[in-house]
Amino acid sequence: MKIVVTVKLVPDTNADKRIDPASKRLVRTGVETVLNPFDEYAIEAALQLKDKAGEGTTVTVVTMAPESGKEVVRKALAMGCDDAVLLSDDGLAGSDVWGTAYALAAAIKKSGFDLVVCGTQSTDAITGELPGALAEFLGVPGLTYVRKVELNGTTLAAERETDNGYLKVSCPLPALISVTKSIGEARYPSLKGIMGAKKKTIAPLTLADLALDAPVGSVGAKTEVLALAQPPAREKGKVVHVADGAEGARAIVDFLKEKKLI
Amino acid sequence: MKDVIVYVEHDGGRPRRVSLESATKAKELAAALGGKTRAVVLGKDARAVGAEMLTYGVDVAHVAEDADVDAFAIDPQVDYLEAVAREAGPALIVVPYTMIGRDLGSRLGARLGAGMTADVTDLKVEGGRVACVSPKLGGLTITTCGYLTDYGIAAVRPNAFKASGGQAGGEVVELAKPAGKSYAMKVEDVVVEAAGEVGVEEASVVVSGGRGVGGPEPFKTILKDLADALGGAVGASRAAVDAGWVTHSHQVGQTGKTISPSLYIAVGISGAIQHKVGMRTAGTIVAINKDGSVPIGEFADLLVVGDLFQIVPELTNHIKSGAHHA
Ligand SMILES: Cc1cc2nc3c(=O)[nH]c(=O)nc-3n(C[C@H](O)[C@H](O)[C@H](O)COP(=O)(O)OP(=O)(O)OC[C@H]3O[C@@H](n4cnc5c(N)ncnc54)[C@H](O)[C@@H]3O)c2cc1C
Ligand SMILES: Nc1ncnc2c1ncn2[C@@H]1O[C@H](COP(=O)(O)O)[C@@H](O)[C@H]1O
Repeated sequence: MKIVVTVKLVPDTNADKRIDPASKRLVRTGVETVLNPFDEYAIEAALQLKDKAGEGTTVTVVTMAPESGKEVVRKALAMGCDDAVLLSDDGLAGSDVWGTAYALAAAIKKSGFDLVVCGTQSTDAITGELPGALAEFLGVPGLTYVRKVELNGTTLAAERETDNGYLKVSCPLPALISVTKSIGEARYPSLKGIMGAKKKTIAPLTLADLALDAPVGSVGAKTEVLALAQPPAREKGKVVHVADGAEGARAIVDFLKEKKLI
Repeated sequence: MKDVIVYVEHDGGRPRRVSLESATKAKELAAALGGKTRAVVLGKDARAVGAEMLTYGVDVAHVAEDADVDAFAIDPQVDYLEAVAREAGPALIVVPYTMIGRDLGSRLGARLGAGMTADVTDLKVEGGRVACVSPKLGGLTITTCGYLTDYGIAAVRPNAFKASGGQAGGEVVELAKPAGKSYAMKVEDVVVEAAGEVGVEEASVVVSGGRGVGGPEPFKTILKDLADALGGAVGASRAAVDAGWVTHSHQVGQTGKTISPSLYIAVGISGAIQHKVGMRTAGTIVAINKDGSVPIGEFADLLVVGDLFQIVPELTNHIKSGAHHA
């Protein structure tokens, strides 16, 4: 059984994120890069499946990122993944969801898979649209927002979150899922894991290795940024100190009335 | 000429409000583009929901009460949507930016080679082209994007547009079942845990609790009571979710939901940046906190400094009794 986990490298949440007005892209230099926090749950889910399945099951991390992201990928290996594929190419810069999914699909097909596990969304883009597009390009059933997953032989059984509960779903492998944090807290790399990660392979891939039929990167983009604007900052509002509940409630009711909200 | 196709998410015979909002916006866009507004309604109750969509200005409601739509996840919907899109020709396709909408939009986008825009909060037609506005980087930047493709897919954020019904005209048309398809992702069971509750993404009023709420009970009692009195939903900070007091589906913020209700009431929440990015586009923000120097005070429209356990129940009583009408 071969499990592939897709991870994205994102600027640290606390970093000062900027968009370059000229290229209209996220400035990724000079900011600390981390594993997309959502993808730690994806890694955790894959490792849980591996722990259960035992011998013969491997977890491969696949990421499309600049080569400088190598050290971040090592964290996934330190957590327990077996090896990694780092898809890096200047020609990939400026890829939108379509291009990213298209190129990643080719990389994943090349490495082979029974199950692909994605995070639900990335903290820098928050589109959450990559997993669906990736499933489509891989030509396999895809299920997002998975909170529980089991493999029974070559059948996948999963629970998908809904707004008011969940769905129980099953499908044959190969398949793709994206998982939520309900899957369980992500494990920390152990010291042994960190040491071991240094010996694990991070295989480089470039566009030349993939021989794609359609253009990706900025030339293949299907959308264009027309304008960027700074939203108006929210002003500091009124602050009222109240002596008791009645006074507090009154202050809020008056305010909501003034705003015509009640 | 360009048609605008709206995928209608529905539940229990009722379209979700985001779909009504989308249809209303779609009508305006279709008028500007010189095309038709089409709705796609699938699965159980599709005919009735389709008929209701006509009152929101839809010209053609394409419906299919196909059991496969409810028996299998996602793929049947994508096939139907694809069929309508190909029939309409170059078009704008509007899906809700919800769990289901994100899946449909992205699968369809991959299949049609369409430009995809996510978390769209405004849509306009400028010089015959559709422009999509969406906040990026937690609302720090507002981008306007255009499509470079025949088909464009916009996933729109709930509460971004106003729904306006009461219109006449239009027709309901049955869709033919896409031929030669087989489906693998079988729905074994649908478990409803919170029947009739509006999700935080869709509610126009959200009452959120944080660490200050102190435990799971107040979420079910005092916060829920206030949310009910205001016709809203209960949200939460990550601290409350991580403590196990409420489920993750209630979480607002960077690793939860990004929402734009008209009123957001933050109860016992300090207003960390990761929380702020999920709710900063709310219409009005009211915070209740015992500490007057919390970060949320910097961007709330009203910060009431006091004890939440005293204030919230009193507030609920006021709202319920309609005392504010006096
Ligand atoms: C990668 C990452 C992602 C994150 N994603 C999210 C996210 O999606 N959403 C999110 O919310 N956070 C997120 N966080 C966490 C965030 O940084 C804060 O830790 C969190 O929002 C704090 O929650 P809180 O405001 O409930 O708790 P606290 O900061 O502890 O605030 C509790 C507040 O309650 C007040 N209080 C206590 N008792 C009372 C009382 N009786 N009456 C009135 N007030 C009272 C206190 O004065 C205090 O201000 C994320 C963090 C990271 C690193
Ligand atoms: N460049 C990338 N390389 C590998 N995986 C990615 C990349 N971008 C997105 N993903 C995966 O897709 C998920 C959703 O990302 P997004 O659609 O960008 O919000 C992430 O959690 C990752 O698992």
